[in-house]
This record gives sequence, C-alpha cells and structure tokens, in this order.
Amino acid sequence: MPAMEGEMLKGHLDMIVLAALSAGPAHGYAVIEQIKRRSGQAFDLPEGTVYPALHRLEQAGFLAGRWTTAENGRRRRVYTLTKRGSRALADQRAVWKQFSDAIGGLLGGTRPWKNPA
Amino acid sequence: MEESGVISGYVESLAGKLAFDRSLARCVRQEVEDHLREAVAAGPEGNALEAERRAVANFGDPQAIAAQFALLSLARQSRKAGVAVVLVIGGVFFAMKARIAWFALTQWVLSEEARAVSAYVVAIDRYAFWLSAVVGLAAWVTISRRRAPAALHPSYRGQLRRFFLLCAIAAGGLLASVICDGVLSAIRLVETELSADFLVPVFSMAIEVACAAVLVFHIRCVARRMASTAALARTAHFG
Repeated sequence: MPAMEGEMLKGHLDMIVLAALSAGPAHGYAVIEQIKRRSGQAFDLPEGTVYPALHRLEQAGFLAGRWTTAENGRRRRVYTLTKRGSRALADQRAVWKQFSDAIGGLLGGTRPWKNPA
Repeated sequence: MEESGVISGYVESLAGKLAFDRSLARCVRQEVEDHLREAVAAGPEGNALEAERRAVANFGDPQAIAAQFALLSLARQSRKAGVAVVLVIGGVFFAMKARIAWFALTQWVLSEEARAVSAYVVAIDRYAFWLSAVVGLAAWVTISRRRAPAALHPSYRGQLRRFFLLCAIAAGGLLASVICDGVLSAIRLVETELSADFLVPVFSMAIEVACAAVLVFHIRCVARRMASTAALARTAHFG
C-alpha cells in the first residue's frame, strides 16, 4: 500500500494522536510507534510533527502531560487522554465514520450511502 | 553505542529557534532528545553516527517543527494577554475607586482653582478608561475561545492582528487614564501637607502604574512572538 502524503494527514493528525492515546498513557515516541503499528506503517509523516500536535492537544485540554523519569534516567513527558479528549475523539470518530461511509459509497459506486440524519 | 553529537546539535538548533520562549525551548529540548535517543536505541546495532543521522532525518526539518511550536507559544501568549487586559483594567478600576473612596472618607477638599482644572482631567480620564474597558473586553472575547491552529493560516493571522490592535488601543486608553489619575492625585496632594493620609493615594497610584506596566509587557511579548513565529513560518519547509 502506498504511504499517505503529509498534507492528506495533517488535517487528521489531532484525531490520529487522540486515537493512539486511547490505548493508555504514553510518551511521544510510544505514540508515534503506536500510530505506525496500528496504521500498518501507512502514514508517511515526519515524526517531529507529532510533538507540536501533542502540545496543541494539551493546550486545548484534550490531553494531560506530566514529566516522569525513564529507566535510563532521562526525563520523559507522558501524555494521558482527558475526559474532554475522550469526548472529542468519540465525536471525531462519528464524523469520520459518516465521511468514510459516504466516500465509500461514492467511490465503490455500488450502493448509495444512506444518511442517518 | 557512543554519541556522535548529531542529536545534541539537532536539539540545540531546535531549542535555539524557540529561544523567545525559554520554558517551551527547555521542554522541547528534553522531549525531543528523549525521542531521538530512544529511536537510536531501538534501531539496528551499528554505526552511531548513521543511527543518529537516521533518527534526526526521520524527525523532520527543525525549522518546520520550531515554526509549529512557535505558533503554540504565540497562541498561549495571546490568550494570556487577553486575560491580562481584563484583569489589569479591573485592577486599575478598583485602585481608582479605592482612592476616590479614601478622598471622600478623609474629606479631602479641593480649592476652586484646582477644581476647575480637575473637571477637564476627570472627563478625559473617564472617557479614556471606559474606552479601554470596552476595547479590552473585545480583545479578550476575540482570543479567549480560539484554539491554537496547526498552521499560521491567513484567517488566524488576521484574528491575531485584530487582537493586537484592540490590545494596543486598550493599553493606550488605560495609559491615558492612569496619567490622568496621576495628575488628579497630584493636584490634591500638592495642596495639602505631607502626612500618613498620603499613603493610600500614593499606593493606589503605584498599583495603577504597575497594572499598566504589566499590560504593556504582555503586549510586547505578543508582538515579539508574532514576529518570531512569522519569521520561522516564512523560512520553514513543511514536510
């Protein structure tokens, strides 16, 4: 499968990061690994782009960050999804599902998508 | 594996670009260094220099990453300035009211001549203060509910410009009001002999001056971060 381009992903980066953190608290490197693993390495995005997204989501109250000390003695920032973040992720999941079904119906061309609204 | 210095150079370069926000620069330096060292440790055994170069290349252009962090710093500083405008105006209002109440309580009397001069200054003071209060509230409303965007797009840029303009007008009005308060207090104080009663007006004026200085400081910080963010965004290569 070809890797998805940066511009295509940027609009969804916040949702991707929130989804990665829904598995549990993690530091930046683990979030990136989680994204790679769960997406089947489909996203081709500079790893550094995830950190501003983590900070942005923390500023928005969707994530809570705290400093810890790793086993190797290095200071490490660990992020946890807040209740607000969980709600935002649930909303984004619902919107994405609608969008994905609609596009699927359009591109698949077999069955028209039924709007639940 | 021995360190080759590539990671250190990279994190220093990234932190250096964020020098206008020292706490953010420190946080980013530690977080990014932790990431890069872990990426090197998780990679295949071999040449340290190659491993560090690979980790840094995968991380992305430091200028582009710094530009995104700078935008977050600017958004945070703008929101802080928005809150500061409201608090500072409130602070000046209470200091002003406390001084007026003190003058009434101590039955501080003005001469006819001083009263005539004061009337003009009071009018300027009142209009300048209420202009500052209304515009300051508008500035806070403009920025308070705005989440930091992922990029410095034209609509956010426009919103920041409007916010900055409103803050500048509010600060101008507040400075004029504080100067008028200073003149009014001086008119009263020069007509009386030095006593302990001077403490309340002098202290309340000191609070007003400090509030105005805090506001100017916050606006200056926003202006500096706007300039730094725009400069980083102009020269960054987004991947």
